[in-house]
Amino acid sequence: MSDKRVLVVDDEIHIVQVVAIKLRNNGFDVITAENGAQALELTCTKHPDLVITDFQMPVMTGLELVENLRKRPETAELPIIMLTARGFAIEDEKKKALKVSACLSKPFSPREVLQSVQEVLGLHAASPA
Amino acid sequence: MKGLAEQAGQMERRAADLALANQLLQKQKRGAEAILYSIRDAVIVVDSFERVVVANAAAEGIFSFRLDRTASRPVAEVINHPEFIGFVGQIRRNGQEHVKHEIVLRSGKDARSFDCILSCVKDDKGEVTGVAAVLHDITREKEISQAKNDFVSHVSHELKTPLASINAYAEMLVDGEAKDETSLEQFCSIIQSQAQRLNRLIEDILNISRIESGLVKVSKQPLSMAILIRDAVEMIRSYAQEKSISLHTPQAIIFDQVYADKDMMSQVIINLLSNAIKYTPQGGSVTIGCEVHDADGKIRVSVTDTGVGIPPEAMDRLFEKFYRVEANKNVAKGTGLGLNLVKQIVETVHGGRMFVASEAGKGSTFGFELPLAAGRPVEVA
Repeated sequence: MSDKRVLVVDDEIHIVQVVAIKLRNNGFDVITAENGAQALELTCTKHPDLVITDFQMPVMTGLELVENLRKRPETAELPIIMLTARGFAIEDEKKKALKVSACLSKPFSPREVLQSVQEVLGLHAASPA
Repeated sequence: MKGLAEQAGQMERRAADLALANQLLQKQKRGAEAILYSIRDAVIVVDSFERVVVANAAAEGIFSFRLDRTASRPVAEVINHPEFIGFVGQIRRNGQEHVKHEIVLRSGKDARSFDCILSCVKDDKGEVTGVAAVLHDITREKEISQAKNDFVSHVSHELKTPLASINAYAEMLVDGEAKDETSLEQFCSIIQSQAQRLNRLIEDILNISRIESGLVKVSKQPLSMAILIRDAVEMIRSYAQEKSISLHTPQAIIFDQVYADKDMMSQVIINLLSNAIKYTPQGGSVTIGCEVHDADGKIRVSVTDTGVGIPPEAMDRLFEKFYRVEANKNVAKGTGLGLNLVKQIVETVHGGRMFVASEAGKGSTFGFELPLAAGRPVEVA
């Protein structure tokens, strides 16, 4: 079990839900947001240990969210995993510059998301439920 | 004397023959020039000194010059396009044939793309005597190809979204992540609803593409608009009741017949009604109106709601494929294809016209105009 808090951001409610259930079933504390603006606010008030965000969202895109997070000292190093429906939506250089820990393309596997979260947070894989 | 007279006669005949041959040649030359001049592609020929010797109307148009005022001047002085001039010189020096380049011509904000095919003109001995260039406007082809690429990339994104849900929830079931009966049911129902969404998307895309390519089967018949509206309202009534939205329907009109495809027109009315209900909050109202304009032989159907409305900046893009109003995305789900399909059915298939009026926060009116089926007998369903 982990006491880590993960923020999941996607405008597709089903996607948010499936990632949240997978992580909660594996001991994570999960909070959710449906766009970048909401997510930005939650990072200030709820201080997650990691953010998983979609790329294309209304109001504020995933990329804008990451750029905004990097501008603030308190979230400048916050680990981020991106989900994207377009394989090449974010170039490697940009990924590096924005310190995006991992990029997973949709359709994605909740198993891979969990594994990626564990790797990024430096946790050992939990025994299968 | 006799000999001289004969010679004089022969000379006269020869002169007459030559005059005739000359006339014929002049006629052929004018004919060839007329053909050259009427070709839509631009044709320019320069001689071995790179002086413009032939240019048709299209060439004069795209490069803005007049051959009769610039003939025999070097091409570089006549045409202000260094890239093109460079190609002409290169081809002439190298003696090449059929070399193709793409060039862009700009005038103000307008930019047009051309396929430019250049070839050396050679004499009997194989010496280069000039260069011929043909420019074919490919701007439209490039736009179509770009639109196709955008469409494919948009479609794949839209298809991947429900597919991502189906894939993820199926894996969750396999991994035993549904910890109780309720979760199990929920996961299965999400998979089902996302599969249906995927199917609707594919159906809409296919329907739009069939209409656009002219492959759609249309069976038009005389129909009463009032009956079409009545049936559509009945189909949609329970949806309106779920949201406590009142539905107001028009009084029957005596002559309201159109010549149309029944299934397609039903789809149009149902789509407009369900959109109106979808974007209207609980307790609102949706009014469907139907007016006949005898003077111009048209029938006008409108659906007015008291819903969220559309911001002015979004009005021009409402009928674009996959376009969804940013501010209203959270109000309801949609593919962004419904209104495009409606417009295609009304305008492309039935020769009608769509119209829309809206005020953000107050509501919208969507509707269409169709020609009345003048004098055709009517089948009453």
